[in-house]
Amino acid sequence: MNASIQCENLSKSYQKGGQTITPLEALNLHVAAGEFLALMGPSGSGKTTLLNLIAALDHPSSGSIRVGEHDIGSFSRAEAAAWRARSVGIIFQLYHLVPVLSAWENVELPLLAGSRPRHERRKRVDSALRLVGLTDRAHHRPTEMSGGQEQRVAIARAIVADPALIVADEPTGDLDRESADSILDLLASVSAEFGKTVVMVTHDARAAARADRTLHLEKGRLVEATDKA
Amino acid sequence: MTTIRNLSHLPRLAWRQLARHRWRSALTLLGIASGVFLLATVESARQSLARATAAAAADSTLVVYQAQRFCPSTSRLPEHYLGPISRLPGVRDVTPVLIVVNHCGASLDVVAFRGVDADAWRTYLGTQATIEGGSFDEWLTQSDGALVGAHLARSRGLKPGDRFEAAGVIVTVSGILDSPNSQDNSVAYTHLPFLQQASGTGLGTVTQFNVRADPETATPTEVAREIDALFSSDQIRTNTSAEAAFFADTAADMIELVGFTRWLALAAVVAVAGLIANTMLLVVRGRLRESALLHTLGFSGGQIGGIVLFEGLLLGVLGGLLGIAAAAVLLAWQAPTFGSEGVVMAVALAPGDILRVLAAATALAIAASLYPALLASRRCAAAALRL
Ligand SMILES: Nc1ncnc2c1ncn2[C@@H]1O[C@H](COP(=O)(O)OP(=O)(O)OP(=O)(O)O)[C@@H](O)[C@H]1O
Ligand SMILES: [Mg+2]
Repeated sequence: MNASIQCENLSKSYQKGGQTITPLEALNLHVAAGEFLALMGPSGSGKTTLLNLIAALDHPSSGSIRVGEHDIGSFSRAEAAAWRARSVGIIFQLYHLVPVLSAWENVELPLLAGSRPRHERRKRVDSALRLVGLTDRAHHRPTEMSGGQEQRVAIARAIVADPALIVADEPTGDLDRESADSILDLLASVSAEFGKTVVMVTHDARAAARADRTLHLEKGRLVEATDKA
Repeated sequence: MTTIRNLSHLPRLAWRQLARHRWRSALTLLGIASGVFLLATVESARQSLARATAAAAADSTLVVYQAQRFCPSTSRLPEHYLGPISRLPGVRDVTPVLIVVNHCGASLDVVAFRGVDADAWRTYLGTQATIEGGSFDEWLTQSDGALVGAHLARSRGLKPGDRFEAAGVIVTVSGILDSPNSQDNSVAYTHLPFLQQASGTGLGTVTQFNVRADPETATPTEVAREIDALFSSDQIRTNTSAEAAFFADTAADMIELVGFTRWLALAAVVAVAGLIANTMLLVVRGRLRESALLHTLGFSGGQIGGIVLFEGLLLGVLGGLLGIAAAAVLLAWQAPTFGSEGVVMAVALAPGDILRVLAAATALAIAASLYPALLASRRCAAAALRL
């Protein structure tokens, strides 16, 4: 599936106590299918807001946003959820694993949202855990794992449904350098080897350097583009 | 199809959620089970009464009682009325019965003796009842023998060969009677002459005649009218009614008493519904972030609500089963017999009652979880990367 991202004149604003906040303003962005893009920018510049729009977790106030052939800005809530289950893998800064479920069951979750038969789920979860190197931790609970391991489980969860697009909001923000490197390796290989489009928000220039391209957001606008040398 | 498959995983997720808070779930189950226990007990009492009074409704059996008397200890009919009644057209057979009870008013733990003529009784009832332990022939040879209804035997812990006393009458158990007519299972059948003497009633006196009409010749109503007309100028007049109506009449007290318990049942229902709704609301509130996470991962609002609904349903069904099991154990152990004016009923939990109570618990659980489920499916819309 083609997961190029096309934003045109994309704006998002919020009403807050009679005041209008516009974290994103008339943003134009094109991300090629299979590209690994890093988004940087100061706090409050609208990075998370943009990721929410790209993952159809929020509606744009104006402008359009397309992912592949879908006009995701016009999705209803149910359409958006169904599309996410199929097409988007999401990685959070704080992992957000369900504490009562084992690593294996956490990875299985996106497959339960869709309608995959049991044998297919088993195959996919096993291979996703193998890919992140946690086969031996399959039956551990999140509380029994390190932060880096938790984030690798979260990556397995993000790729298990074989989505064309992966969004990651500061995925290494809470990790030591070694763990961060293994996460970045995984994201880079997911993009390079499996052709997935990856959009990663980060505050860390070292992390951004692993991406194909880095964009900087400031007050809701793109300010400069750095291509990978 | 897809939707159904999408929903098929929800019970497993719901079960996980319940298992996650073991103590909270266990306490909630305990509460639900208590409510259902009350509901099941009350329902079994109500339904047992309904069965006891409705059992004979379909058949053409009439009961001849002394006019204006409402208790077996006061209804006295001469046994020689047997001849004239038998000779009436439209009468198939007549069984004189002497009833002796240890309590005449409404009471729990009623023992009722029915003195009958052995041969008449055999044709009257013998074909549909089975005797387990002991035998009919044994009873025939034992003058103080009694065929004890299965329920009465259970509640008193009686077995063949035992002797027991009630209402001043001492009998020997010749066999345990298991009859499809629930009345039979709660009483003890003795020989008529024995009971007349042992109870001090005196030979020649009975409580009632059980008359079976021959529907080909006359309707039961006509036969009843003829019987009462036959003795209208005698010193001891009769009042004849269909057995079902007679039961309904005598059971009026019990119906009133048991009818009142419907409020208890209603209170139990409200308590169970409130408990489930409260628990599920707390669950939904405590899990807002997790619901949002699931929605972010692609679960639909309906699926997230479905998990909550299944959790409520599981609580209702499990609590329901627990409560019903507790009621069944209590009723089997205590085997209470409830009686008034010689009409005796065994309070027992029939399969139909179990299904009805379980269905009620299930329906309640669904109803009580609907709003929390709706709330969960709406609130999870806060899904986002800022969880
Ligand atoms: N739901 C909301 N309602 C009102 N304002 C919001 C909402 N979400 C975000 N904002 C505002 O939009 C602006 C951009 O927020 P955003 O989370 O996108 O920043 P960010 O670049 O991700 O920052 P950080 O690096 O701190 O995560 C902020 O000023 C924030 O307060
Ligand atoms: Mg952010």
